[in-house]
Amino acid sequence: MVSVITNFSRITILSYVIIFTLIDCVLLFEPKLNEGLNSILVTIQAVMIVLFLVNGSVVLYFSAEEPRIILLLVLELLFLLIFALVINKITVPVSKGLINNVLFLISMSLITLERLNLTRAARQFIFLIAGVMLSILVVYILRKIPQINRLTFVFGGTGIVLLLLVGLMGVVEYGAKLSLSFGSVSIQPSEFVKLSYLFFISGCIVTFKDFKGFLFAGIGAALHILVLIYSKDLGTAFIFLVTYIFLIFIAYKNYIVLAIELFLGIAGGFIAYNMFPHIQRRFVAWSDPLSVVEDQGYQISQSLFAVGTGSWLGSGLNNGLPNKIPVVVKDFIFAAISEEMGAIVAMCLIIIYMCTFIMIFNVSFNCTYSFYMLVTSGFAIIFAIQTILNIGGVIKFIPSTGVTLPLISYGGSSLVSLLIGIFITECSEDLWHLPSKRKRNYINKR
Amino acid sequence: MNKVTKPKKNHIRKEIYVTAVIFAFIFLCMIFFLYHFIRYDSKDFIYNSFNARFSVFADDVVRGSIYTADGKVMAQTSKDDEGNEIRVYPDERLFSHEVGYVGKGMAGLEASYSFDLLKSHITLDDQINNSLTGIKSPGDNLYTTLDYDAQKAAFEGLGLYDGAVIAIEPETGKIVAMVSKPDYDPNTIAKYWDDINDSSKNSSVLMNRATNGSYPPGSTFKIVTTLAYLREHDEDDTYSYNCNGHIDVDGYTIHCSSNEKHGKENLLQAFSNSCNSAYADIGIHLDREAFINTAEDLYFNKTLPTMLSASKKSAFNIDSDTKESIVGQTAIGQGATSVSPLHMAMLVSAIANDGELMEPYLADKLVSAEGDIVSQTEPVSAGLIMSAEEVDTLNKYMEAVVMDGTSAKVDFGDLSVYGKTGTAEYSENKKLTHSWFVGYASNDDGKQLAIAVIMEGAGYGSKFAAPLAAKVFNAYFEE
Repeated sequence: MVSVITNFSRITILSYVIIFTLIDCVLLFEPKLNEGLNSILVTIQAVMIVLFLVNGSVVLYFSAEEPRIILLLVLELLFLLIFALVINKITVPVSKGLINNVLFLISMSLITLERLNLTRAARQFIFLIAGVMLSILVVYILRKIPQINRLTFVFGGTGIVLLLLVGLMGVVEYGAKLSLSFGSVSIQPSEFVKLSYLFFISGCIVTFKDFKGFLFAGIGAALHILVLIYSKDLGTAFIFLVTYIFLIFIAYKNYIVLAIELFLGIAGGFIAYNMFPHIQRRFVAWSDPLSVVEDQGYQISQSLFAVGTGSWLGSGLNNGLPNKIPVVVKDFIFAAISEEMGAIVAMCLIIIYMCTFIMIFNVSFNCTYSFYMLVTSGFAIIFAIQTILNIGGVIKFIPSTGVTLPLISYGGSSLVSLLIGIFITECSEDLWHLPSKRKRNYINKR
Repeated sequence: MNKVTKPKKNHIRKEIYVTAVIFAFIFLCMIFFLYHFIRYDSKDFIYNSFNARFSVFADDVVRGSIYTADGKVMAQTSKDDEGNEIRVYPDERLFSHEVGYVGKGMAGLEASYSFDLLKSHITLDDQINNSLTGIKSPGDNLYTTLDYDAQKAAFEGLGLYDGAVIAIEPETGKIVAMVSKPDYDPNTIAKYWDDINDSSKNSSVLMNRATNGSYPPGSTFKIVTTLAYLREHDEDDTYSYNCNGHIDVDGYTIHCSSNEKHGKENLLQAFSNSCNSAYADIGIHLDREAFINTAEDLYFNKTLPTMLSASKKSAFNIDSDTKESIVGQTAIGQGATSVSPLHMAMLVSAIANDGELMEPYLADKLVSAEGDIVSQTEPVSAGLIMSAEEVDTLNKYMEAVVMDGTSAKVDFGDLSVYGKTGTAEYSENKKLTHSWFVGYASNDDGKQLAIAVIMEGAGYGSKFAAPLAAKVFNAYFEE
């Protein structure tokens, strides 16, 4: 009986994901679609999210015989409803497709975590609620700050100080210093510094313009990156570097500078490769993981066993062995999804991630204020690189870097920081502090 | 400040989409990469013995059985008293290195065909029926190329000696018998696992010496030296040497076996008497470069062309700087040369097959529980490694070994047998020798079998290894 439900659900879950993905590809052109069609598509997607959550939870409930899963499901559905109401209350969302994508990825995260480790799933759900509340708070605060670009150096300074704190007093995990520990709670400041870094770079460019802005932004970025290298958090250092390069490109529209910076970035990569033995080990594990399967290739081999054995349709929820993969709930959660839901779902997921960052770029393209145009572009870039580094590492496309998968990996800091980023993106049109009279006019115009 | 923050509507921000396209391109590459991995590369990972997910397949499918070519069970799954599935190997140690084991990790055919044994090719109706009713489907069965009687003769003939026997059908490369000792009982391997892997005991029972052993070839290597001589002299075997029981090379003395003086002899006599002095003399006069080329044409220092999961490279270590005394020893199969029994069996099988080397294989076909062939291995040629003239000459020489040379006293029955013995020193103590025989036999119907036998520390090849080869030949041709 259970195996019939599981096997049947493989097909139904696959079809929800495929329908969601196909609509996503159409919604890329959201700014150009007419409103009627748009709202029909968005509604179908929302239905798919609910079906996915319900179907996934039912399979897990029957195969694990765990009543808490049904309780979680009820809370999750309630959360979806409240989320939709709240975001419409605080702003006129610029992209409904983006909201759907975020909710879909969060649902995928919850179902996968419930499958892997129910306690972690429950904690992640609490992080999720806390993250949404914090995001709303951030939006309100940002609206109250007049001329936010005056605070450029406050953002830059805070970011560097936080990273320095991690470098000096952080807890070492997997060879890198990533988190600060306060009793039983530990947070990863670098996740939040990603946002302050965006505000800093955007502020520099908007305030000082031209060469001076370029110079200040460059010095600030270099300081961030050097502190990260000192903490051996090379994955995040790479994200900061690429974000800086492309933000400068978007702001100054200079292809030659882009080419030079990319070249310098690659040269820096070579130096780092020769400087850090643990990078070289990751390259060996990447080029031929089976030759070192008992050693540094263990994790990536386990990941590929999972993805390969799961094949196109997957083993069905609770039918695989994803817990054999070390750190599966964080860095290697994509392998768990691919093993049990199949490589087709995994490919759809890559497309959904691609649509998500393009939707964020859509928002920044249509952004009224150049400051938030840069912040949202930077957020899209961070989102895209982080996805590439994580999924690429899991499927052996690139060496693994220990970066988490946006919105799906377990971890509070990353989830909260991404949610704040999403809220800033959705509210980007009305975050700029305007005298209340002008603001009323502006809202009436829309 | 006001100027900067002024809204800039309808500003063309093309670079945003340039950036988006760059990143989207990487995403599309990842999708293609994942597709390619699942479609083509994932098999290497699924088959890997570190992949624990086999236990999950085993929930729906009963692991298939493994059979010899003549249908005797090598491994099967049955139930113990409590109804748990257990893997049973009815002949215990007889097939240990071929069939391998499953449980404490995997090895042998159990490892390389694990995925296939856990696949079921019964009709779709039955499969759906089974999955709905919760009955396990029977996995596909594997038929090997092994001949039960030949295997048993080799196993019993080797007796208490360590060593290896490997017999190959020359026309196809089918491995008919393969025994390696010391061995283990796959039924109880989990129980004795710690003992078996105790490195202080240095027993290496898990190693298949037939494919992965590394032995001094002794006089069996004279086949290679003879080929090098023939190639250098345009297939002309005119040669004369006066043997007085030893030869001095570079201040080092090489003795003939038992210091026997063979007197004046031609190449055929030197070969069939296994005269070390004559062959050392040939070796030091050979063109080095040509000698190395001949050895490498015969797959020394190279990966052997086989369909087996692993085999050891044979080593032939001389170059232009090597001292003459070492070259002289190498020519008689001592020195720095080492071979696997598999390699020697492949060389003689190529002689038996008119110079064409067939890639050895062990897994013949996969058959579904209902008897349909799922897949069958086709013989693969590794090409001609010697000419027809060379084969003729070697046939003549190897026949002389059996008719009136070192193996004249061995009773091979009615078979036509061609062979070469070897007595290989392997330590400082020159009295300790490995006993070698390599060769092939054919019966009146033209059926052939090539063999390599090594018995560690047994003594003369003619006294131990050659009679064992005779037993295997008789068991194989008797049916």
